[in-house]
Amino acid sequence: MAAAGSVKAALQVAEVLETIMSSCLGPEGRQILCTKPTGEVLLSRDGSRLLEALHLDHPMARVMVACVSSHLRKTGDGAKTFIIFLCHLLRELHAVTDKGKDSFISKNIQTHERHWKNCCQWKYISQALLTFQTQILDYVMDHYLSRHFLSIFSSSTEERMLRRSSFELLLETYFCGRVGRNNHSFISELMCDYFFKCMACESEFEEVFELVDDYFVELNIGVTGLPVADSRIVAGLVLHRDFSVYCPADGDIRIVLATETIQPVFSTSGSEFILNSEAQFQTSQFWIVERTKAIMKYLQTQNVKLLLSSVKQPDLVIYYAELNGISVVECLSSEEISLIQRITSLSPFVLPQASSHHEVLNTAVVKFCKPLILRSKRYAHLGLISTCSFIPHCIVLCGPVQGLVQQHEDALHGAFKMLQQIFKDLDLNYMTQISDQNYTSNPLIYKTRESNQSSELVNDSIQRTYQGIDVKNKDELAKTQTYLKVYSNVVIPSVELEACISCSTPKVTPTDTYQADKTLRCLSANPRMIDDHDPFIVSDPTTDSTTENTRIEISYKNVLITKIAGIGNMLPERCKSLEVSSSQSYCFSSIPAGCVLPVGGNFEILLHYYLLNYAKKSQRSEATLVSVIIANALLSIPQILYKSKKGNHSFPQIYIRTLRALQANQPVVSSQTGLESVSGKYQVLTSVLQCLTKILTIDLVISIKRQPQKIHDQDSEEEL
Amino acid sequence: MFRLEAKKPSLCKSEPLTSERVRATLSVLKGVLTSCYGPSGRLKQLHNGLGGSVRTTSQSSALLANLSVTHPILKILTTSVQNHVSCFSDCGLFTGILCCNLIENVHRMGLTPTTAIKLNKHLLSLCTSYLKSEVCGCRIPVNFSSTQILLCLVRSVLTSKPACMLTRKEIEHISTLILRAFLLTIPENTKDHIILGKSIIVPLKGQRVIDSTVLPGILIEMSEVQLMKILPFKKSDSFKVALFRVSLSGDLSDTGEGTVVVNYGVSLENAVLDQLLNLGRQLVGDHVDLVMCQKVIHPSLKQFLSMHHVTAIDRVGVALMEPLSKMTGTQPIGSLSSISPSSYGSVKDLCTEKFGFKWFFHLIPNEETVCSLLLGNRNDTVWDELKLTCETALHVLQLTIKEPCVLLGGGCTETHLAAYIRHQILHWKTREENNTCKYKTLNKPESILKDGWCTQTELQLTTEAFCSALESLTGSLEHDGGEILTDMKYGHLWSVQADSPSVVHWPDLLSRCGCGLYSSQEELNWSFLRSAQRPFAPQPCLPHEAVGSANNLTLDCFTAKLSGLKVAVETANLILDLSYIIEDKN
Repeated sequence: MAAAGSVKAALQVAEVLETIMSSCLGPEGRQILCTKPTGEVLLSRDGSRLLEALHLDHPMARVMVACVSSHLRKTGDGAKTFIIFLCHLLRELHAVTDKGKDSFISKNIQTHERHWKNCCQWKYISQALLTFQTQILDYVMDHYLSRHFLSIFSSSTEERMLRRSSFELLLETYFCGRVGRNNHSFISELMCDYFFKCMACESEFEEVFELVDDYFVELNIGVTGLPVADSRIVAGLVLHRDFSVYCPADGDIRIVLATETIQPVFSTSGSEFILNSEAQFQTSQFWIVERTKAIMKYLQTQNVKLLLSSVKQPDLVIYYAELNGISVVECLSSEEISLIQRITSLSPFVLPQASSHHEVLNTAVVKFCKPLILRSKRYAHLGLISTCSFIPHCIVLCGPVQGLVQQHEDALHGAFKMLQQIFKDLDLNYMTQISDQNYTSNPLIYKTRESNQSSELVNDSIQRTYQGIDVKNKDELAKTQTYLKVYSNVVIPSVELEACISCSTPKVTPTDTYQADKTLRCLSANPRMIDDHDPFIVSDPTTDSTTENTRIEISYKNVLITKIAGIGNMLPERCKSLEVSSSQSYCFSSIPAGCVLPVGGNFEILLHYYLLNYAKKSQRSEATLVSVIIANALLSIPQILYKSKKGNHSFPQIYIRTLRALQANQPVVSSQTGLESVSGKYQVLTSVLQCLTKILTIDLVISIKRQPQKIHDQDSEEEL
Repeated sequence: MFRLEAKKPSLCKSEPLTSERVRATLSVLKGVLTSCYGPSGRLKQLHNGLGGSVRTTSQSSALLANLSVTHPILKILTTSVQNHVSCFSDCGLFTGILCCNLIENVHRMGLTPTTAIKLNKHLLSLCTSYLKSEVCGCRIPVNFSSTQILLCLVRSVLTSKPACMLTRKEIEHISTLILRAFLLTIPENTKDHIILGKSIIVPLKGQRVIDSTVLPGILIEMSEVQLMKILPFKKSDSFKVALFRVSLSGDLSDTGEGTVVVNYGVSLENAVLDQLLNLGRQLVGDHVDLVMCQKVIHPSLKQFLSMHHVTAIDRVGVALMEPLSKMTGTQPIGSLSSISPSSYGSVKDLCTEKFGFKWFFHLIPNEETVCSLLLGNRNDTVWDELKLTCETALHVLQLTIKEPCVLLGGGCTETHLAAYIRHQILHWKTREENNTCKYKTLNKPESILKDGWCTQTELQLTTEAFCSALESLTGSLEHDGGEILTDMKYGHLWSVQADSPSVVHWPDLLSRCGCGLYSSQEELNWSFLRSAQRPFAPQPCLPHEAVGSANNLTLDCFTAKLSGLKVAVETANLILDLSYIIEDKN
């Protein structure tokens, strides 16, 4: 069986998925109920979960789901946006080719041949898409969009500090897409409180993210049957077990961890215990009892009031623990043990050998230890004192049904994953082909952005082309907008470049963009040699005076190093054009950590605007076509978001207002409060484009009867 | 992805609530729940076609646990009610019916779910802040110096469960017993916080209800033969008790992961038995009078102990361990040798009791925080129902201690609340102008309108849907075709017999309102609950003299009802918010 793989088939599939996804997108999105074969009922607005629950059968759909899941493995967010983008791209493509069909293909060619022709055409388009993604998109992101970026870090110092207000806005946006409409503000407040309570020191938030992500299950407790508003944060760690023995204690409470039974046993594994007489048996039993008694007594003298054990302790141990006023919690999971170890850096208790009690006992201090009763279930509640940057707190999540509690748990966990993502720099890591002969003769494998490598390359190329290097502030570029004016400034010789790059601390992400430009003229007219190892300071006063506070952090992190390529190798028109993305350039830039934009389709409308602008100026027809298609498809997200809004807040109104503001160079005012990650959006867009190229290059779907090969099985291990 | 091949694709349905089938099933469920509601509610007989016991009930917990629903929406609704009941024991039917009503009303009025959900939330917060405020006209603070209100509360719980089949006299008897059992669990000398004891319900199936009683301490059921063996007890004013957690049967404890080799001729049984007898000697030496063991006691040890006039009772079971150790003050012993003297406890007296054909061993404690409630009823199914009701009543009393106030029952709270909400929403404008706003509410309606996401009409319609959901809930208290009225002063509920003449002087027909607080002799105006009403401000702040004088009020648990209200609205919102259902067909 073979079926033609075409845009039309893919579009049909994508449209079905889109109707489902668009119903739960954004703050106005609704819930979807999923039932499991086991009879469990789950509420969800999580795109990946829904796609998984659908168990799709169609081959095209499976390709899409595979693409979404590989995207999610990378970023953990954006499944719904992915599907909607993809659908609209396909729709645009379909519309474009439908129109052009008559001119391309004459009517008398048979259908089959026409299909093959079509496929060749799709292949062509998919290549154009790839070029778009690697060249135009990153360029537009870097040059135009970046001027709108905001950062969620608060101060202008090198240390990255979180600003609570923007953090709240960011979370609010995230939960708008994940939990029910009545609960998002509540849950996002809860999460925000939780995070700031857990954080010991502002600068080490990344560790907190990592820890909470790793031990999320241990750090929250679901309670069903109570209204959602009863959810709360409790200080300390709540273990999902009850005390086996509880002895109330206050003051200096010390705890020990046990990973084996404290009572000695007759024989350990691999050994043999030979009983020769009844007396021997009685003596050894007596010894065991005495030994246990002695150990527990010893623990008491060390002020131990709580014994945490990963195994079930025998009755004897429990009895002596109670006699000595030691509370016991048994059967802790290995995750709980390792969480406690991580918080308190406590190592497990080692049974002292023979009668030597002189070994140093590993104990930790807790502030309190008491039972916590939630819905008639008892938990052990410990006030651990942290030795790391995480102050233990637990979230108690309430809800009328398990499905809702589960949804909130998933959303909170996802939020921590999202935050981890946002605090990473994202490289717009791409390299364009060089038409310059000087360069092509030089096999440059240029994948990393390690500073020595890049400086080597720069040195190398500088020697060859004998050019100056321009180090300038990127944000200033965004601000002043005129290219020539920006390129005013610091010119340092190649020797200094090394120093400059190496002096950029790990906190600072150098954004190296090597551009060929007509500014060469003005630069070569007045070459200045400034012996300055720290270009940041040079640009300091100007940025301070010209840019807003929020922009400053970005500006420090983004240093644009511009290299001027040889003028002789450039085509005259290219030289004149202001666009730098032409084939003579090397671009390595990045979206710095913590970059955000206001919500409500801001990213999409901005990118739409700049892509259209680009398309107008571009000479190549396929680039124009692809840019326009993508620009139009981008609008689908804000269209859905504003679907229910009326009057002044309807989509056309917002769209026109934004475009006017952009044309007039005024700041874009957003009606929405809330922020979203730029890198997340960007990654969705690139993943969609990759997925689309994959779909377009398929011309025939052949269904096979035999079992899929082993190779595929391994892939399927990683489900959504 | 290839693994998914084996799975069948899921079934995806859009806008589930618009489907006629779903609505029909919802209304069937609503019908089942409504017909059970209240003192005159109809009973449901649950039986398995293949045989087994038959259960007659009108309680949500028993009903929903046995009802298997297939539709996912109903599943959400029923689990939500069940979860609520497992937290609060009471107000399960209230939650379920209110939730059904809300969904139905929103649909009937043709409101868009999105705005209805948001508005429902606002109305709910209006309700909760009113119920929690001082001016609330349907809340009574509990005075613990008299048992009047607590007794009314217990009696209301009992009367609302018709499947217990109790007469008026029996209700009086059982409610006093429950209250006594509860009061016995409160420790006498309390420090900072009270730790309540436990009341254990002991079955006396087949006995008369009137024979039910409460005894302090713990009763352990025994056969007559066994009991005769351990008789007679010696006379003493205090008995020393040892309670064993570890088995005294002489089995070998865990020997570790390695192997244990026993040479020929070595008898471990003898060795262990020696150990047990040593233990027996120690117990006798320590003057222990009563030995109890969670597990089994070796017959030889038993023999030895009885020879020395020590009473031995084994197979107590894990459920009784905690109350036993609490009551006697013992520490459950986990060792076969060297028992610390501090782990012994004591009881005041030991005796035997006989109820019907059952014999009990009775431990009477020194300090009474544990008691046994011996419950009798005619047959199994009625007994089960009565037991559940007693547990509910005890739980409700515990909740009331935590939050010392009660709500008016008999539907009066609901009608009062509906009148309040209606008035708040429809008259916020005039109130604002006259500046007569007496109540400070958290969410003023004007702020809802200002945000611009809903119109005045939508607000009014949703309010109507919400209030009529509350009112039709009280309407379902009436099962015999009678009419429900409300007065225009307090907003309370009054019910009229079915076959009453149409035009009459109302005070002649009505005697007292649903909760029993007001009598019809006051100058009041009545109107039918179903008819369109003129919104009025129900009188806030209960008069103290009225509460004091009335001694036969119908009351509801405050905590359970408040949480039930919240859960009902939240669940309804959840169900209204559904846009798709994805059913996994595997």
